[in-house]
Amino acid sequence: MTFRLAFWLVALVMVVAAYLVVRSQNLVRAVLWLALVLLGTAALYALLDAPFLAGVQVLTYVGGVVTLMIFGVMVTGRQEGAVAEIDSADRIRGLLVAVGFFALVGGAILKTDFSNVIAPRPPTTAELARSLLDDYLLAFEVTSLLLLAAVVGAVVLARRRDPTPETEGSPR
Amino acid sequence: MSGFVHGLSYGAVIVTVLMTVTAFSLWFERKLAARMQSRLGPTLVGPAGILQPIADVLKLLQKEDIVPLKADAVLFNLAPPVAVVCAIGVAAAVPFSPTVVAADLDVGVLYVLAIGAVTVLPVFTAGWASNNKLALLGGMRAVAQSVSYEVPLVLAALVPVILAGSMRIGAIVQFQSDHHWFVAWPFFLGIPAFVIFVLAMLAEANRIPFDIPEAESELVAGVTTEYTGMKFALFYMAEYVHTLVASAVASALFLGGWDGGPFRPGLHWMVLKTLFLFAGLYWIRWTLLRFRSDQLMRLCWRYLVPSSIALVATAGVWVVFVG
Repeated sequence: MTFRLAFWLVALVMVVAAYLVVRSQNLVRAVLWLALVLLGTAALYALLDAPFLAGVQVLTYVGGVVTLMIFGVMVTGRQEGAVAEIDSADRIRGLLVAVGFFALVGGAILKTDFSNVIAPRPPTTAELARSLLDDYLLAFEVTSLLLLAAVVGAVVLARRRDPTPETEGSPR
Repeated sequence: MSGFVHGLSYGAVIVTVLMTVTAFSLWFERKLAARMQSRLGPTLVGPAGILQPIADVLKLLQKEDIVPLKADAVLFNLAPPVAVVCAIGVAAAVPFSPTVVAADLDVGVLYVLAIGAVTVLPVFTAGWASNNKLALLGGMRAVAQSVSYEVPLVLAALVPVILAGSMRIGAIVQFQSDHHWFVAWPFFLGIPAFVIFVLAMLAEANRIPFDIPEAESELVAGVTTEYTGMKFALFYMAEYVHTLVASAVASALFLGGWDGGPFRPGLHWMVLKTLFLFAGLYWIRWTLLRFRSDQLMRLCWRYLVPSSIALVATAGVWVVFVG
């Protein structure tokens, strides 16, 4: 009972906040609504007995990604620039894609028979660590290598000079 | 259900105590700073001025509540209480004694770090919603600082986690109680990790010498420029509560928490250590000057991040081959 109540509460907040993310006319407000959605996801993880995932979700997404997005919004424009034309240019097509995707996912969920699925015992953090760093060590390391490559790539892209630089001394 | 009741009752007690300690820590700080500068500090309200915080709060409550015309009123009003909630929320997972803890989470350290990471959002929101360029600059500085110092903070907190083999703060304290406090042994890991942790925590709480988000000589009062009365007081309170709770977390992770060495363990040790560390942070605050932004970033990325990575690696080697 408590679980259901908590779930529907979190779900309601998340859906409203997610709607406001796309409808908000103001970039900073949209990002803050996104932070609420991500916090809601963390709350869902916590409700499903996955506290580690919940903590990581908050730490990386709310603490890291949202903060970086805010920083991005800040350095790209003046404060008035934060009120951007983020309204979709073609609403009909956007709606079609959204409804189609919803139907696809919803259909898949409804068609799956969950009646004989036994809820697995939620793994403790120690078990999670063991499977991540013992059983699936190779995959884990490959993933981290991929992320490293992405970081290096981002730095290279950011540092690439304009191919036709103005020949009036060094920049800055 | 009993867990819920337990958490609620202990939570209420811990929050009340934290608030009271915070209020009187203001008096303590002013007295300490005054002594360091050969002054007397507050003397008029009550014996030795001890009722000064109460007078201050009464004064702040009476002040006019101003919301700037062009401010984003909703976010402007929302930011101060959220800042306080984030600061207090961290306290939930901190064990003050084997029994006095609101919720000794299985992932306590992660929880503390995660809530700490959220703290920057209300600060930034306040700066942005004020619609004031000085406040906005303060908010941007807060974001830049928080993103950078989160890295050494998390890595330094990993060291006791690796050494104790648990993320439950209570278990980390118990491990230190059974073996040694981490600042005592292995001290070459414990002491540097402790120092990095405290520095990064200070930076996250925007305390001097890391208070560039509200550098009053450049930014008037940074993010709090447009705030008056009780809302300003809430930001002030959030900063103090954050520092106090951070001291408690650092005491639990590195100084053995409730363990009293050869003496009887208990709540009093945790309180003593926390307040001792808290006073030490005041000492730092009134001794050092504020860093420049670039110095802050250099300290973080050139020194704290590499050394904390080295510490984590060494801790792993230590646990495998020695511990």
